[in-house]
Amino acid sequence: MTDTNEQIRQEALEWALASQEADFAGWDALTGWLEADARHNQAYDAAMAAGSWMADLVAAVPALPQPANDGQPLPPANARSWRRGFLALAAAIVAILLIPLWQMRPQPYSVITPNGQTRTIALEDGSRILVNGGTRLMLDRNEPRFARLERGEAMFIVRHDEADPFVVEAGDVRLVDAGTAFNVVRSGAGLDVAVSEGAVIVNPDGENVRLNPGRRAQIDGASGRILVSDIAASHIGGWRSGQIAFADAPLGEVAQAIERTLGANVTVSPDLAGARFSGILQVAGRTPDALPQIAPVLGARAVRRGQGWELVSIDAQP
Amino acid sequence: MCATPNVSLALPESGTSPPSQGLQALLLAEREGFLRFLRARGAGDAAEDIFQDTWLRLAAAQTNPIAEPRNYLFRALNNVMHDRYRSAQRARRRDGEWIEINSSNAEASDAPLPDRALAARQALAQAEAVLRAEGERVLDIFRLFRIEGLGQRAIAEHLGLSLSTVEKDLQKAYRALIRLKETQDAE
Repeated sequence: MTDTNEQIRQEALEWALASQEADFAGWDALTGWLEADARHNQAYDAAMAAGSWMADLVAAVPALPQPANDGQPLPPANARSWRRGFLALAAAIVAILLIPLWQMRPQPYSVITPNGQTRTIALEDGSRILVNGGTRLMLDRNEPRFARLERGEAMFIVRHDEADPFVVEAGDVRLVDAGTAFNVVRSGAGLDVAVSEGAVIVNPDGENVRLNPGRRAQIDGASGRILVSDIAASHIGGWRSGQIAFADAPLGEVAQAIERTLGANVTVSPDLAGARFSGILQVAGRTPDALPQIAPVLGARAVRRGQGWELVSIDAQP
Repeated sequence: MCATPNVSLALPESGTSPPSQGLQALLLAEREGFLRFLRARGAGDAAEDIFQDTWLRLAAAQTNPIAEPRNYLFRALNNVMHDRYRSAQRARRRDGEWIEINSSNAEASDAPLPDRALAARQALAQAEAVLRAEGERVLDIFRLFRIEGLGQRAIAEHLGLSLSTVEKDLQKAYRALIRLKETQDAE
């Protein structure tokens, strides 16, 4: 009984993590530890519950703020249609009751890629999402026409359905497809959307900006300002083939793109904070060690910083 | 096109399957060990009943033989105790301000649905912010562990990290969530 509460918490945490592993076999040792002090089980329960609590929150949050009229009959327009409206409403209610609860429940899952590793996700409807490195994307098995980009970059090649458009949510911004292949980059509060085929509507309930092929929108998360510009369609999603195109991009943005695609840790020195780059970087087949060869293209020099690289001004003294 | 999205991260809920009949003798021989565990987990006098119920439930659902029946039953019993603990917590809290969000027990709350969805959204945003404050990687690793159900070794391989880094990050995540939950429960 000499353990401090802090020690007990730490031990409980270690047991909670270990005992959640599928191949955990230390049940007798866990029993012994639990029996040693009445506080042990309390701390173990608290640790387990904290993890489950957040997992339940993820499952409870609907993937989308549901449109109020989704699948519901419109209210009857006049007295004559009142009866039909009532019957339709009753039918809708019965239909809702008949859908097993588990089918309505969101079943979210996340796709997380480390820097330098890409992944392709094939959705049921034939849509594909190509996920660049350094990305976290939330999907939902019961909401196959929805994705939330939490950070990083992904190219969406979606099967168009007028009645059920594909929606990408990123922060406060909603992107709704109108027959589409488009690339989305989210870094911090900023969002960068470029359309190579079809069209995308940015925030249909708000600014309602339509992006046609070859158009790009940069959305400043802080101010909400949307800047629309042109982009060569062949440059969109270029990371898939190891070519990343930039048009007057701040070096910080370039560094992040290199991080995602090459897996290298890249920072930009303060003296280059204002520098910008236009052009195409060839990174196909390259490794993080190629940074010294890539840097001159950016008008910079790559200097080793721990596990990663820093881009410094070409004139900077070592 | 396959029925589920082609994501290698998606693992089934449990890697094991329910018990087969031949194992009954073995497990019954170990009965006292299971009961000890249940009592240590706070089952008290209900230990016998919980053991019996869980065993019958698993036996009824049996399909394929399982590799580690002993560990499997321990895990099932641990889950039962975890669920009981959470139900008790919920019951205790029900009178308070806190709107409980639980996907499997959604009808338990009287709050209108949109309010609860909003509350869940806010609670989730807060929990994510707390984890993010420990670092983006901590949030990633927690998600892979607790939501995707990946083991720590698999996470380490997937993200190219050492096992001890994954373990430390998970501890950070859990500590932060425990703290957050304590402050919320205290309110």
